[in-house]
Amino acid sequence: MRRRLAVPLILLVLGASLAAALYFAVRLGLDRRDNALIASITAGHDLATDPADPAALLFARLHFLATRDRLDEAQPLVQQIAAAGDRSVAVAAFYDLANARLRAAIAHLEANRIDPAIPLVRLAKEGYRRALTLDPGFWDAKYNLDIAMRLVRDFPQLDTEGEEIPPEAAKRLWTDLPGVPKGLP
Amino acid sequence: MRTRLAAALLLATLATPPAQAQVRSVELYAPRPFGYVIGDAIALTVEIALDPPFVLDAASLPRPRALDYWLDLREARLTDHGVSAGTHRYTLDLVYQTLYAPLEPKRLAIPGLALAATDGGRRVAIDVPAWSFLSSPLREIVSTGAGAPMALRPDIEPRPIATAGALRGLVASTLAALAALALLAWRMGWGPFGRRQRRPFAGASRTVRAALHASSSSAYRAALLALHRAFDATAGKRVLAEDLPAFFEAHPAFRATETEVCRLFDASRRAFFGEDAAGAQGELPAPDLVALARRLRAIERGTA
Repeated sequence: MRRRLAVPLILLVLGASLAAALYFAVRLGLDRRDNALIASITAGHDLATDPADPAALLFARLHFLATRDRLDEAQPLVQQIAAAGDRSVAVAAFYDLANARLRAAIAHLEANRIDPAIPLVRLAKEGYRRALTLDPGFWDAKYNLDIAMRLVRDFPQLDTEGEEIPPEAAKRLWTDLPGVPKGLP
Repeated sequence: MRTRLAAALLLATLATPPAQAQVRSVELYAPRPFGYVIGDAIALTVEIALDPPFVLDAASLPRPRALDYWLDLREARLTDHGVSAGTHRYTLDLVYQTLYAPLEPKRLAIPGLALAATDGGRRVAIDVPAWSFLSSPLREIVSTGAGAPMALRPDIEPRPIATAGALRGLVASTLAALAALALLAWRMGWGPFGRRQRRPFAGASRTVRAALHASSSSAYRAALLALHRAFDATAGKRVLAEDLPAFFEAHPAFRATETEVCRLFDASRRAFFGEDAAGAQGELPAPDLVALARRLRAIERGTA
């Protein structure tokens, strides 16, 4: 009886392994194509992405936009990457976008434009928090969040639900800025 | 590295016996109380022992949420160990995350929890004590190092998708498919396996089927001859009708077909020595010959 079963069993194994080979071949092809797109975006080509694309490709696009100060276009990509479910890519996406916002805020502050800087710092802090929620051991996010925290401190009454920034927050900003006004006349 | 902080609460329990007699003990196990920086996760464990029939009120458990502007409760997981030795034990695992950015080491407190136990009618409060830890800064207050004071840590660069896993899977599944195909070919006697000396009936069966497509007497003879050659090859010497008992002795697997094989040898005696091809075909018609060849092949393969 066992010997009779052998041929159908072999056919089953053959079919299953052929199906697996086909699956892996298709996946390998798709991954290779996406890697070519990632390389192209990293090289500086302005290629649009689709929400259904894999997280790594969306992240390459986000990095491209964030490093070119196109923050408004980058924001929806973060949500798409977070929804894709790849934790390490989601952490990197929150972190890179927060970095871009913090860099923009510091540039505003160095030019003495305080008002546009504050919301950027607050959004950057939120991004770092989201990254740390997903990965509590992410030291670069801790460090940059610490920088953002000293630019605009958290206030107990502010972070409960308040959307409006009390005027003293803006006034206190400079007292919390330990190193920025370098060499003002 | 875990500290036991239950003493104070146990004292409180003893001081007010009527109100909390049903709560046997509440113990808080905590990690080191110092050296936490912004973003660190802190795992606390609360061990609760109740007197039956009291059970922990699930509605009083904390839900993961922001407790303060700097403190989040990330996870609250209750494990019910059931009643053993007259005590109902629970373990409550709590994971907090501190988001406080101190300028110097600062003591921060995780507030206690007010849980409740119930036996259906009465309610008893269970107080989990507060816990405090030292939070440390990451950076100096005024930068004294070289370089810009607010230099950010660098971005994470985009990385390509890892293809090694898919490649390994492709290689492994292709090898598996090839192995299965080879095994199948060996089983069925295809390709190079069909010509092996050890499978003469496989070849003979093919010859018989091919020869009997043409329903002439010479084709019938060719088919008979092919089967005879297969018997010869299997036995390693010429097999005549008289040698059949010895053949079945040496190859007992073929004994199942003894009657048909005897008919085959009778038919071939008629066909070759009696010059009576029609009689031979009456003795063993062509379809029976094909069926016999198949059976012999199956026996030889071991799948009969």
